[in-house]
Amino acid sequence: MSFRAVFIAVVLATALVVGAFLINQRRPAVERNQPTAAMVAATGKCAECHRRETSAIIDQFERSKHAAKGVSCLDCHKPADGQPGTDHRGFTIAKTLTAKNCAQCHTTEYDQFARSRHAAPAWASVNGAKDMSPEQRALGERHHPGWVDRAPMSIGILEGASALASGCNACHAIGKPNADGSFGTCTNCHARHTASIALAREPTTCGQCHMGPDHSQLEIYGESKHGALFAAQRGSFDMAADPKKLTTKDMSVPTCATCHMSGLEGMKVTHDTTERLSYFLFAPVSTKRPNGDRGQGEMKEVCLKCHTRPKIDDFYAQAERVLESTNEKVKGATEVVASLRKEGLLTPTPFDEPIEFVEFDLWHYYGRTAKHGAFMGGADFVQWHGNYELLRLRTDLDRSAVELRAARKENR
Amino acid sequence: MTLRAWASQVSPRQAAHVFAVSNIAFLGIDIALAHRANDYARSVEWAPVVFSALATLLLSPGAFGARHPMVANLDRAVGWGAIAVGVVGMVLHLQSGFFATQTLHDLVYSAPFVAPLSYVGVGLLVLLLRSTDANEPAFGAWLLLLSLGGFVGNFGLSVLDHAQNGFFHVTEWIPVVSAALAIGFLVVTLVRPAAMPLRVALAVMAAQVVVGLAGFVLHVRADLHGAAASKLDRFVFGAPPFAPMLFADLAMLAAIGLWATAREATRA
Repeated sequence: MSFRAVFIAVVLATALVVGAFLINQRRPAVERNQPTAAMVAATGKCAECHRRETSAIIDQFERSKHAAKGVSCLDCHKPADGQPGTDHRGFTIAKTLTAKNCAQCHTTEYDQFARSRHAAPAWASVNGAKDMSPEQRALGERHHPGWVDRAPMSIGILEGASALASGCNACHAIGKPNADGSFGTCTNCHARHTASIALAREPTTCGQCHMGPDHSQLEIYGESKHGALFAAQRGSFDMAADPKKLTTKDMSVPTCATCHMSGLEGMKVTHDTTERLSYFLFAPVSTKRPNGDRGQGEMKEVCLKCHTRPKIDDFYAQAERVLESTNEKVKGATEVVASLRKEGLLTPTPFDEPIEFVEFDLWHYYGRTAKHGAFMGGADFVQWHGNYELLRLRTDLDRSAVELRAARKENR
Repeated sequence: MTLRAWASQVSPRQAAHVFAVSNIAFLGIDIALAHRANDYARSVEWAPVVFSALATLLLSPGAFGARHPMVANLDRAVGWGAIAVGVVGMVLHLQSGFFATQTLHDLVYSAPFVAPLSYVGVGLLVLLLRSTDANEPAFGAWLLLLSLGGFVGNFGLSVLDHAQNGFFHVTEWIPVVSAALAIGFLVVTLVRPAAMPLRVALAVMAAQVVVGLAGFVLHVRADLHGAAASKLDRFVFGAPPFAPMLFADLAMLAAIGLWATAREATRA
């Protein structure tokens, strides 16, 4: 037996194995180091097909922080508790992703979101509580008593199913009750494969829903000094900065997320967008929220990063005066309609008479706009898009009331 | 009849012929399963399956001893056809991802580009059997060379396929080491046939058979315990059950080559 022949054969084999080992080590760690074999496979396998079929999602994912942190496709797409799985080319994935999938890692953020108005109350304000499980209903009512156990919105019913689905619920589904027990999806603000913090900080992201005559926050922000400064300086901001380490150096001008959610300069980050609010500005007659004083205190902490205490207190005092004045105007209009109904001049059916639309527009469009304008620094919205319209509609309302009463007199 | 008596009646050439037919037939079955993972997204994916079926029919008469001149011509046509299918298949597999950016990632996750070269190997074997070289003393060496080529491909497949799995289980390195040993021993056997004892070379090939069988068991076990609800999906998208058997298959080709070489040496 020739030892030299065997020796050469073994040396050749060793060289090949070492070469293979070294090449494998040059592959990205995310492709090698995963907790399960399925997740290793998913990292590259999913992209192999989806680069051909839905290439944009691969590009979006590869740019995301998730990819940089080594998150595998299956981390998000595997069924969470209570989600049915479906076989997909050798993997078992969830049929539909919900906030529960994100909550597997982002538990705190989800818990904050679930107790916010973005969850149960957002859905219930249009659809009522009928689609919610007892647990979902209870959670919503615990944090927002009276805003969840309610009837569906009458306008949506009158307008029909298609308007409800493609109109109202396109936004209000942010709090849609899911069969797995969770609410909504995080992708409304963070997008799906991009999973972007920077996107959630963009005013236009919030403005996908918070716009238009009924809640014109995006337009008000655009008109405000905050919006003007942001438009001028946004190129120098680090919009993707870590939320827990965000400083004014990263973003010296606030967007919606800065004031309502951010952990600016050591503040507590929150996904409960209602936490720093003082009043129910969206309501016909605005009252203070149960934790309104605490909320106002927290919001003022954010204001203090740029403004002095007296300026902030003065700003709030002015805004509260607009709120009180708007409340009076709305109450006055509501009383006119209520007295007409009491006198039998209006039917109890909602939205079957023109004057009901005038009353609704008065508080739902212009009352809200005046209040939001006052609390967000949008002077034009306090005045021309708010109070001027309140005055005009109140005049219309009074004239209609006079005409209705005169018409009844004539009929007698 | 003893094994020795049977072996004396069957020539290495006949054994190689049966090997070629059985390989081209089984390649069709293996690819039918493999391309199902891609849902036969392109109709060209049926080409190797159809080719294998036709080639099996056309090669069978020759393998069972038919001597009509037409049989030899058909065998040659099948041989060249197999080479064409293999080369085109390799290019198409690389186009599934590799040519986009030509990175290690794309090489790992593109369709297995080495796999279609199995057809090239079988095609060359068929042409060898129908050429004058099949009657020459170097016949055994040619078979060893084809087996070596197969093991080189097997080495690449083992590295790339298991890289997709991140070598999650340490056992996934076994076929890499095994294929590397087969390559090392076959290279030395080819370059210095006198220096490598037949028994050592056969022992290394026997080890390949063991690795192939063990791999088959491990792959099937992994698939049976897969997460997919559909058992078929577990096999289609999971560990390819027949892939490890390529070790045993190539070891058999090498064994036929060693047998032919030993026979020539005895005659000489």
